[in-house]
Amino acid sequence: MKKAAGSHRPSRMRSKNRSGFSSDQTSDTAFRSTSISFFRIFIQCMFCIGTLVVGFRFTREAHFLRASFHHPEDSFSRRTGARMGSLVSIGNRSDLDLRIQEEIANDSEAFRLENSETIIRSRVRVDVGRHAILIRPWPHPDPFEVIQAHHLIARVQMEQWQLYGSKESKPIIAITTTFVRSFQAVHLTGLLHTLSLVPVHVTWIVMEAGGVTNETAYFLSKARVHRLLHLGFGDAMPAGLKERGQLEAHMRVEGLRYVREEKMEGIVVFADESNLHSLEFFTEAQKVDWVGAVSIGLLGFAGFEEPAQSRIADVHQEEVGAGRRDNLFARPTFEPQVQGPSCDSKGNLVGWHIFDPLPLEEEVYTGIMLAQNRRLEWPNFVLNARAVWKTEGNQPEWIKSWDEWVTPKDGSAPDIKAILRDDKQVKVLGDCGRKVLLWWLRAEARADSRHPANWVLDENLEIIVPAKSTPWPDRPVRVPSPPPPPAAATVGTGSKRGAGSRVSGGKGRRSKRRQSRPNIS
Amino acid sequence: MVVGFLLLLLMPSSRSATSISVVDGNVVVGEMGEMLQLRKRGRRRRGHVSLLTCVVGFLFLCQVSRLAAAAVLHRHQRISGSAGDVLEDNPVGRLKVFVYELPSKYNKDWLEKDPRCLTHMFAAEEFVHDFLLTSPVRTHNPKEADWFYTPVYTTCDLMPNGLPLPFKSPRIMRSVISYISTHWPYWNRTEGADHFFVVPHDFGACFHYQEEKAIERGVLPLLKHATLVQTFGQNHHVCLKEGSIVVPPYAPPEKMQSRFIPPSTPRSIFVYFRGLFYDVGNDPEGGYYARGARAAVWENFKDNPLFDISTQHPSTYYEDMQRAIYCLCPLGWAPWSPRLVEGVIFGCIPVIIADDIVLPFADAIPWEKIGVFVAEKDVPNLDKILSSISPEQVLEKQRLLANPAMKQAMLFSQPALPGDAFHQILNGLARKLPHDPHIYLEPGQMVLNWTEGPVGDLKPW
Repeated sequence: MKKAAGSHRPSRMRSKNRSGFSSDQTSDTAFRSTSISFFRIFIQCMFCIGTLVVGFRFTREAHFLRASFHHPEDSFSRRTGARMGSLVSIGNRSDLDLRIQEEIANDSEAFRLENSETIIRSRVRVDVGRHAILIRPWPHPDPFEVIQAHHLIARVQMEQWQLYGSKESKPIIAITTTFVRSFQAVHLTGLLHTLSLVPVHVTWIVMEAGGVTNETAYFLSKARVHRLLHLGFGDAMPAGLKERGQLEAHMRVEGLRYVREEKMEGIVVFADESNLHSLEFFTEAQKVDWVGAVSIGLLGFAGFEEPAQSRIADVHQEEVGAGRRDNLFARPTFEPQVQGPSCDSKGNLVGWHIFDPLPLEEEVYTGIMLAQNRRLEWPNFVLNARAVWKTEGNQPEWIKSWDEWVTPKDGSAPDIKAILRDDKQVKVLGDCGRKVLLWWLRAEARADSRHPANWVLDENLEIIVPAKSTPWPDRPVRVPSPPPPPAAATVGTGSKRGAGSRVSGGKGRRSKRRQSRPNIS
Repeated sequence: MVVGFLLLLLMPSSRSATSISVVDGNVVVGEMGEMLQLRKRGRRRRGHVSLLTCVVGFLFLCQVSRLAAAAVLHRHQRISGSAGDVLEDNPVGRLKVFVYELPSKYNKDWLEKDPRCLTHMFAAEEFVHDFLLTSPVRTHNPKEADWFYTPVYTTCDLMPNGLPLPFKSPRIMRSVISYISTHWPYWNRTEGADHFFVVPHDFGACFHYQEEKAIERGVLPLLKHATLVQTFGQNHHVCLKEGSIVVPPYAPPEKMQSRFIPPSTPRSIFVYFRGLFYDVGNDPEGGYYARGARAAVWENFKDNPLFDISTQHPSTYYEDMQRAIYCLCPLGWAPWSPRLVEGVIFGCIPVIIADDIVLPFADAIPWEKIGVFVAEKDVPNLDKILSSISPEQVLEKQRLLANPAMKQAMLFSQPALPGDAFHQILNGLARKLPHDPHIYLEPGQMVLNWTEGPVGDLKPW
């Protein structure tokens, strides 16, 4: 196409130029001044450019018109065949070597003999040649069709579940401990959606430290579980991690006590809010008879920080000689840490994999989460609800009775592993612990970090409390400003949209840097 | 079971003295005469009752068996195409094939030169040869043969990058036909009408990879009467001879069958495609490759979240197909592609975007019920078309795809299994029997013009 356009262009331009030139001459007679030559040159240039534009347009239109009256059979006539041949030879496979070139030469020789007459095969209805790439005027998804497609996907998945899905459907009882904090929204929303998607009957017991609050209730109202129990636990969550672990253990025991008293049926799962569960976990949990164990993968602060890396890099430096400097900058690779049961080749439980954090040089910040207890976490275990029931006679003898394990003798926090008298009886889930079905995201905001209630900012930021670890200066930069108008006196009382009280203007500016209005801390 | 019940039905009405009525549970031993008389009278009345119970029991069992069959069918459905329910036909005994013994320069030498011929998508010609050598339909007596097979590997002349060069193929074919016509009388007897050849190349026996050149060449004149087994199929196209058997391209069965994931994995991808949209090497401006259809798919749906389309070939390609509902099978330089086979094996509904295409074994497999056909000019509305298909239709198509006979028919399994592609080819050949008597020519009568065709083809090989 480009070649053809190019071949036409010069001829057109020449003809146009000639006409342009004649019109130039007629206009020339009107002007009788010395600046005629400049003016003429200018006119000529304008006409040149105009011809380029218009001529190109015209050739495109002409080609389009010719193509639209083209019949497919004509494409095999000799004239267009030659052009097609030349066009096609541009597009030959680029990886053909000389051997092929001569084959093509032989081939085309044969064709020239054949093309002496028009080759129109009446059977051919195929449209060989360049086609237009059809793009609709609004090539973006239509929301109605997207919804229909999702309905279709849901229906297909339902059918798959009916045909191939697990036939067992014991109800799941999920026990979660939570408390109001910055990252509660992050963790709880994820867990909420996961539990809403579990295809069996789910009872969700949420134990909240510090009593039932509206914020947590606001999140939990979106859960689509069959039964939701939002219970409060009196003590507020302490700041230190060890203490948090202990309080959480007490809260989980409280949840189990609820299961025990109500005689709930099903599989008890300790769904911590900072865990990410795959739906396969809930399918595997169905296989539990009495006690099951799963492997948890650990994400975050499993040895990836700077100090640990530099330590490993130091070790490398000692090992590697001075000659091989490039190895020093190679990133050491870390195995993802997994905590859970460990089996031998026959599938019997032989031990437990416990997380062993790499040593750190210094604490990165106070919120670091190290598994200091070096023991298995509660989410590693999955219980049958009957294991905590009052009817002690029905449980196997390798499960301790309630009173035996719930209050440990030495006054420490209860641990779920204490329910077992014999480790070997535990059923190991997930391909004997080889498949990681849930992950522990060990990330938490600072204990003193602030967040707006429900993460909704429906008011303009009037009172700004600087967070301590931001790089911005604590004290506001005082810029000399004109005295505030009288309406600014109402700022401190928290009026929402006082007219004229905002010097920085409107909702858009939430920058804490420009402190041109009085800072109330 | 039915016969048993019919016998039981007949039993009580027979009124014979020594009849043993199993329904009554009474075995008559001809000792006590009056007992016999009493039993006879009683049996008449009981005969009617037992007749009724027989009928009721028969109907009940019918229902039960139908329900049981329906429960089995729930997962997959029987496939019957225009030729009837022929996917599971056994060709053994219905035809006899004679395999010509050719010098190794026509087949084995090519394999030794380049063993890649056994793994690329044109490997059907080698595997059909292997299969026929050990198949029960093979006969060593050419006089009783219905079909004659010529094992010539015309698609085995590979370029360094693996693509076959078709330039020598016409000469190889001419050479082999002249060989068999001089060494055996069977070619001249019918001028090839009871011979079949496997030509799996891009455009079949037109022996060229570019469509315009292939159309200009047309089917090799010497093969005018022979039956061609090819992968190319397009209606109203020169390169699809009437009576050809269209087969799927070769896809390695073990490689695909080792990558199955559990069927309970939910299908969450709506539309899936991996492949080129623009062939930058051969068609940089677009518009030639795939007649612009693949480029249209990209331009219209590249930012549509329902369409998982890309040129990156991931290592989880087979697993992803099993998680998709629709798999696009657009045309490329030729209308057929191995994606159809992959889609059928992995249960992904094929969306075929190729005008006038003839799909493999089209008389045995009802492709309209299994796949979705979209005209190339309708590609911009692909999302509307695919989302407006009702869920019941989609489930029906998935049930048809789940039929193991369907999956088997698309594969060239090693070793050959009943119902696989080899058997479908033989079934197709068997359906063309018996041969029309007027294909047998008078001795000395010549129908084919041996000098027809481009000059380059006439050079001996």
